[in-house]
Amino acid sequence: MKEEVWAENPFWFRDCFLMTMPIGQRAVNLRELLHAMQEVSDAVLFYHLFQYRLAVAAPLVEYPNDFALWAANSLRDVRLAEKLSSVDPFDYENLGQVRQAIVELLEEYIWDLPYIPWARPGLELHFCEASTVVFRSRISARTLREFYETLKKVGNDSIYYHLFEGRWRLGVREKDDFSYWIETNLNRPELAAEIRDLDIYFYSLREIRLVLLKLLEKYLENPQ
Amino acid sequence: MIGLDDYAPIVGQEVIDQLQRLADGLGPVRFMHINSTATGGGVAEILHRAVPLLNQLGIDTQWEVIEGDPFFFEITKTIHNGLQGFKVNLTREKWEYYLEVNRRNARKYSWEADFVLVHDPQPAPLINELRSCAKHWIWRCHVDVSRPHLPVWRLLREVVGRYDASVFSMPQFAQNLPHPQYIIHPSIDPLSDKNRDLTEEEIQAVLDRLGIERDRPLLLQVSRFDSFKDPLGVIQAFRMVRRHVPCKLILAGGEATDDPEGPRILAEVQEAARGEPDIHILLLPPDAHYEINALQRAADIILQKSIREGFGLTVTEAMWKGKPVIGGAVGGIVLQLQDYQTGFLVHSPEGCAFRIRYLLHRPEVARRMGNLAREFARSHFLITRHLRDYLTLLTIVRSPGGRVFEF
Repeated sequence: MKEEVWAENPFWFRDCFLMTMPIGQRAVNLRELLHAMQEVSDAVLFYHLFQYRLAVAAPLVEYPNDFALWAANSLRDVRLAEKLSSVDPFDYENLGQVRQAIVELLEEYIWDLPYIPWARPGLELHFCEASTVVFRSRISARTLREFYETLKKVGNDSIYYHLFEGRWRLGVREKDDFSYWIETNLNRPELAAEIRDLDIYFYSLREIRLVLLKLLEKYLENPQ
Repeated sequence: MIGLDDYAPIVGQEVIDQLQRLADGLGPVRFMHINSTATGGGVAEILHRAVPLLNQLGIDTQWEVIEGDPFFFEITKTIHNGLQGFKVNLTREKWEYYLEVNRRNARKYSWEADFVLVHDPQPAPLINELRSCAKHWIWRCHVDVSRPHLPVWRLLREVVGRYDASVFSMPQFAQNLPHPQYIIHPSIDPLSDKNRDLTEEEIQAVLDRLGIERDRPLLLQVSRFDSFKDPLGVIQAFRMVRRHVPCKLILAGGEATDDPEGPRILAEVQEAARGEPDIHILLLPPDAHYEINALQRAADIILQKSIREGFGLTVTEAMWKGKPVIGGAVGGIVLQLQDYQTGFLVHSPEGCAFRIRYLLHRPEVARRMGNLAREFARSHFLITRHLRDYLTLLTIVRSPGGRVFEF
């Protein structure tokens, strides 16, 4: 059996606490959503694409971002929800490009519509941004096994921070914190590649943890 | 005495550890809560438990309750109704009296704090007199202020505009204010008398005491007798259901000491239910938490057909007990009852009746809905999440100017 590799730099899990901040702007119909998408700051876009997962995420994930969810639940426009769900922010270089993609999608969609769908009363989309507090959690891992055991214990916010915020923070969207550390400290490029290939945008944070644990188990049982 | 560790089996040890890390990061700070009632209503309920827990985390936390006479509470009820959109008449004389009662309360205080969280409009003007007693003043609005009556809001905005930040329960309540606004969803305490597990014997004993037989499915709405909770609409829905399916309705209401409108609405409800033995109207004292717990656990379907709602903690309580909930599509109910998943949202007595019938005929859907609701409440609406939000809020308010704080 191959000896376990010890990382030169331990992986420090971060806690990520989020406070939602409403910006006082809302959309009651699809045209207002389009206008807002053209105007709101990147922080607002980031909140509704990613951070809402940490705020209040529906127990069953059907749609992977707030806009698609709103189209389905509030506008009752499942066709639009399907289209918005297929926009994967990780396919783009930056938030500006994501915004452009969504704006174009909405423009084309509205162009063909005979009427503008409105939200059911009480279900308007209220735009928000967030402030976050990030702590080094004092929880660290030096080996793959430690990483595996620790991953079971950290909060969902940690998973969110290292996989979602991590990708945008590093400026290299393909690399999240977990896979970057595994690649550079544990010399496990195959595992790192598998983590990067996970379709995380479509999982809830709870599901992501389970999928990651399963993947790690495979590598721990079959050391290369 | 219940401590933080008692919550670990419910939410996980990692959640408790995180709270301690957040509190440690804040260091020694003094945190003051001020509201207007020590009993009745969700705010008082949560403060009773949150204050000792924050102290246990090392945050020096205190809670003051302002005092007022019936005229003061009549005025604050008018303000409350105005904030919820009713076209009330708030005279200059009443407004001055409201400020005066706050001045009198302020003269009694001698505390100092790093952070003050002032709950709702009743004690909001304290900042006028006590600004120098604390470094950071935060206004916590629990009311649905999505469409306030402008003359009332204009007056109150003058007062709350002096605060350093404000906190609302839902994004749609945010207002045009000259300071940062944050969202904190309210929460329930899973270990309180109102929410802790009960045995079947305990539940049955309460029903026996209240004279309620479980011979037919029980529908329950727990709320103050308040027009915004639409108890008359619930009776209307019940009558529609009962034409098709046998069932009973329980309307159980507590009385809050700061709500002078309660008796009038109660009389209207009693009139509407006259001659109907299958409607039980229970006027429970503010400390009847255990009885409410038993009623919620005995119910087959729980209703919260509000037409205005701040957040709707009775919905959270029902969800935590694994019950299917039907609620009005207003305020925080919309957030809690993810339609078809964790509950049903309705827009009318007819809609309410339709969903009651739907669930009575499909017990397996009701069960699945209840289970999802309980897990949703566990993740987002328990007191531990509330404590985390308080600590995060204090951390952020203390460091203005940024949006990401790394420690």
